Amino acid sequence: MRVGHSSFVVLEDVDLTVAGGEIVAVTGVNGAGKSTLLSCLAGLHRPMAGTVAVLGGPPRDDAAFWRAVALVADEPTWYPGLSLHEHLELVRLTHEPVRGWCLPTDELIEVFGLAGRADANPTDLSSGQRQRLSLAAALTRPSRLLLLDEPEQSLDPAFRKDLAGLLREYAGHGGTVVMATHDLDFAAAAGARLMLIADGRMTRPGPGP
Amino acid sequence: MIAAAAAAGPPRVAAIRSFIRRRRRRPWYDWYSTGFAVVLAVILLWDLLAQPFGRLNGPGGTGGAGGISGAAPAQAVAGAALVIGAAAGLLVLAQALGPLALSPADAAWLLLTSLDRRDVLRRPAAATAGIAVAAGGVLGVLALAMAGPFLRLPNGAGAHRVPSAWLLLSAVGGAGFFAAAMLAGVLAQPWPRWRVRLRAAGAVVGVAATVGAVAGERWNVVSRAITDRFAELNTGSFGLIAVVAVVAAGTAALLVRRMLPHLPAGVVRAGSARAGTVLLAAAFLNVPLLTWIAEDSHWRGRRLDSRPWPRLAAFAPRLGPAFVLAWADWRRLGRRPAVLAALAVSALAPALAGAAFTGRAHGWVTAAVLLAGAMAAGTQGTAATRRDTNDPALRRLLGVDAEAALAARAVLPALLGAAWLALALALLALTGELPGALWPVLGLAAGPGVAAAAVRIARTAPINPADQGPDAPVTAPPWLLTRAGSVLLGLVAAWPTLRAVYAGHVHASTFGAQLAVAAVVLGGYLMIAVRSA
Repeated sequence: MRVGHSSFVVLEDVDLTVAGGEIVAVTGVNGAGKSTLLSCLAGLHRPMAGTVAVLGGPPRDDAAFWRAVALVADEPTWYPGLSLHEHLELVRLTHEPVRGWCLPTDELIEVFGLAGRADANPTDLSSGQRQRLSLAAALTRPSRLLLLDEPEQSLDPAFRKDLAGLLREYAGHGGTVVMATHDLDFAAAAGARLMLIADGRMTRPGPGP
Repeated sequence: MIAAAAAAGPPRVAAIRSFIRRRRRRPWYDWYSTGFAVVLAVILLWDLLAQPFGRLNGPGGTGGAGGISGAAPAQAVAGAALVIGAAAGLLVLAQALGPLALSPADAAWLLLTSLDRRDVLRRPAAATAGIAVAAGGVLGVLALAMAGPFLRLPNGAGAHRVPSAWLLLSAVGGAGFFAAAMLAGVLAQPWPRWRVRLRAAGAVVGVAATVGAVAGERWNVVSRAITDRFAELNTGSFGLIAVVAVVAAGTAALLVRRMLPHLPAGVVRAGSARAGTVLLAAAFLNVPLLTWIAEDSHWRGRRLDSRPWPRLAAFAPRLGPAFVLAWADWRRLGRRPAVLAALAVSALAPALAGAAFTGRAHGWVTAAVLLAGAMAAGTQGTAATRRDTNDPALRRLLGVDAEAALAARAVLPALLGAAWLALALALLALTGELPGALWPVLGLAAGPGVAAAAVRIARTAPINPADQGPDAPVTAPPWLLTRAGSVLLGLVAAWPTLRAVYAGHVHASTFGAQLAVAAVVLGGYLMIAVRSA
């Protein structure tokens, strides 16, 4: 596919197929088009040419599509007056009724290292804690495809390792992950297939020096 | 533990909203400040509209211009043009805000979910329609009030009062047409081309109304031809207008209802983020932040044709670097000829506003619009000042001292303010509302002083768009005071000119006084501002 904005082309001749249960990490220099690619997969950006198929059909940007796809990109705007715990409850509520598939909110908060901050206002958290909360929100709801734009940003190395484990677990249950990342170690820890975007084209990176 | 799965079925949006409402802790001062703002807005609006609405009780029944006391045809035409211009302006503003938008938090947490898109968007769509109906109703009655003295009242309706049925039908007509136009904006929201076309249509309507009003003010035959049409209106024509408006609004509402489930999330998210920041800025009267947002929206995604920077430092080694820094605003403005064109057209506003509200083109309304317009023109040249008020990194990187930078950056707002004032005063003189031909010279003298107010507005600590804003309204008064301080500065700087406009005549001594006041205000402000830089 070919993707661009009104005045310039970002991605040229991109061809990517991701199998179910697979984790794919897309890397590339700043401005290479990683986020644009994720936007296309989420149906938020239409390609100029070519086709996008997600879970067997075009990304329709409707309730059925978002029931299956979870996106973590920019930091969300937090509801003023709602605690960290309540934000996660809200996400679970928007996806009810769900049949036993996930941890209770309190346990999820613990897994994401946010215990003790459950009653905090999200804007009072550090940027790394807010990123953990965003990721927890994406993983507390049911989905078959996770789209993550630089999920490692602001996270400490220890939690990056934990997150890689969580993603492997998610994929182990049949979920698919496509993420943009600059952290090749994190991608390797998650067992991701690495793809490189350079000059608007997608390739498999060669062996390192 | 963490599993991929699919939800069994969609929950109801009402339940989610109820969850959020029950848990959000709003402090008492949130409600207090909202209530206070609403009461204040109603008082200000009522005060502004009381005089135009008063025309509904004015003398009538004679039709045409003959026998009308207290209202000139030109005033009615200018008033009607202002109503049309206000409607067009509100529509363009609504387009900039969406017009369909969620709160930023709702857009982040409810949009990209399994919730039914129509259910999520139903409430903001209803709010948009409701606001349009209310604003359109007021505009409809206002239009009737402008035509009031020239209407031919039906027999038995009372000697001096416009019949209630006409009032009701005007309100319905205005509400219907305005709601239809606003909902058309919602329909165009996903299509950039249609958005541009709608904006262009709004601009064309606004310019046409302005040109008509100026023609009406300049030539009596034009205004009389228009007011004679007012006299031909009767209950039947008001009813027809109302029916057409209701049908248009109903059709647009049905189309919007059908489109809601298919409205792209990306479009709603972008509009919601913009609207959220704009409303935050408006709530704290943060003009710099509003212009900041407008600029970002304008330049986003554009390819700019890079050109070499002029070698200003070679001409003036001492002040050159400061002018190199200040050139950013010159280049930016050069790339936006539409802004300059809009400023030129807006120079007609003082004459129209004065004529419409008070029936005379010189007076306090004209003076107030002159001051506001000159300050607005000046602020068009302060983008860079606004950007690095909190972060003078670029100035430091270039090794330019604060005093020279501020002085160099005041040149463009001074020129813009002076040019705008000169043009506005020239138009007032041209339409015969201000006697004499020297008024533009007075504008040129006042412009530099008004630039101080424009620069001060740009430098009064614009809040970071990424910030959530102050927590409590107790922090709001200082914000309001900084705006009031800037307006006061502009008022002092242009006082001799504004006083002459209010009086309707100018003395030779006014020119000298204006030059001196402008120089003292600008010089004094720059000296004080540099100390705090």
